[in-house]
Amino acid sequence: MTDAGEVRRHEALASLAILDTPREERFERLVRLTQKMFDVPMAMVSLIDDDRQWNKAVVGLGDDVEFPRSESMCAHVAQDDAVMVVTDPENDARFRDFASVKGELGVRFYAGQPLHAPGGVAVGSLCIVDTEHRMISERQLDVLRELADFVETELARGDELDRAGELQRNLLPRTVPHLPGYDVAGICLPASAVGGDFFDWHSVGDDFQVVLADVMGKGVPAALIGAGVRSLMRGASRFNDLETAVNRAAYAIESDLTETSTFVTLFAARLDPVTHVMTYVDAGHGIAGIVTASGEARQFESDGLPLGAPAWEPWRADHVVLEPGDTFIALSDGMLDLFDTIEEAREAARATVAACSTVQEIVDIVAEYSRIHHATDDVTCVVIRRDQA
Amino acid sequence: MQIDVTEPRTGASVLTLEGRLNMVSAPQLKTAITEAVEAGRTHVVVDLADVGFMDSSGLGVLIAGLKRTRQDGGDLRITGVTQQVATVLQLTNLDRVLHSYSDVGEALDGW
Repeated sequence: MTDAGEVRRHEALASLAILDTPREERFERLVRLTQKMFDVPMAMVSLIDDDRQWNKAVVGLGDDVEFPRSESMCAHVAQDDAVMVVTDPENDARFRDFASVKGELGVRFYAGQPLHAPGGVAVGSLCIVDTEHRMISERQLDVLRELADFVETELARGDELDRAGELQRNLLPRTVPHLPGYDVAGICLPASAVGGDFFDWHSVGDDFQVVLADVMGKGVPAALIGAGVRSLMRGASRFNDLETAVNRAAYAIESDLTETSTFVTLFAARLDPVTHVMTYVDAGHGIAGIVTASGEARQFESDGLPLGAPAWEPWRADHVVLEPGDTFIALSDGMLDLFDTIEEAREAARATVAACSTVQEIVDIVAEYSRIHHATDDVTCVVIRRDQA
Repeated sequence: MQIDVTEPRTGASVLTLEGRLNMVSAPQLKTAITEAVEAGRTHVVVDLADVGFMDSSGLGVLIAGLKRTRQDGGDLRITGVTQQVATVLQLTNLDRVLHSYSDVGEALDGW
């Protein structure tokens, strides 16, 4: 490949802005499907950077997402912009010295279809890899091509969606508030590039306010409504107590929710760090409560309806006092899909909180759990722990 | 998802669903409810007995359907609620407004 070709690929990758981005279910799903269809131990979506192969999605290779370009078969697919089948790498001068071939992994088969950026430049490969010798038919290569077309569609779609997703991430709190006597952590993992879940926290006078919400549905429509709810809650919270703020925000968004036939579950809490009184409103959000220092759970009970429900009932605030060592945790229902019953999900949350020494550890475990179990819904979690006296 | 529509009596529709009620299939149900209401059948029973899984998009369409039927003086009721569907309803407290009946006959009763 000419230097000009290298420059074109470098530019195409830069405009995709995909290198070193987090794993995304929309690519993982295609790689899992590819791996299963061809019954191979390994499959990946690779992208060829100047000096390395970086994998956007991979199965069967552990968590390693990159290796040197000098060890990359996919680099040949991208350079030549052509399908490549390798059936005897041990006797192929190009590959026989690769660590993956002569080493422990023992690669014996490779087939890759080039992946193109929206401008048509080959930037990587969708490939299948086996440690056993095998053959592949023309027909199967056509199937791999069709799967590669799907990946390319996602690469193109991602361009615009990623910018929306980035904007949405910027709407999430980026700093941990200074809250004397407390530790706070939160996480929001959309199932696709953008999602209907969000959380927000900020100070209201001397109090600390946190809001979690889950807009029915997924993707861009849910994200648009979510951004509206967030702004309304911020605006209404400035000069009102929490109960009034929730009711005003709910009233303001009601007609939008009816128009778009959607509803929003929401949990809002305001904490006075001096008296340790937490005031909260639960609008059908469901999984929120306190885990005490001794590991006992107290689930918040509420019969509040979601915003946009087909009956208008004012929302009422409740109060709870956070004792030393108490941990407040709220989870979105995306987590619920990963358990058989609400009770199991709550017990898992209780056990996790009881076992962790820091709040960051708790949200990290929630994030890891939803990744491992391929959560298909957005997952959000906020944790507030009062210091031990 | 399969939707089977019957009209057991004037002004009432029974929608029998089979499959997964999620983001992909929810618009189908929305269309079926809208068609029923526009044809004057404002009392709608949705039979969920053969719905193996329902996500929040499915629930959204049921709630929107409830609003729509009530606007026109009707109602929407559900039957055949599985454990998974009951869990979603219970968690959001929407079981308080979207009423569930043990079978289609009972749901149609009193309309």
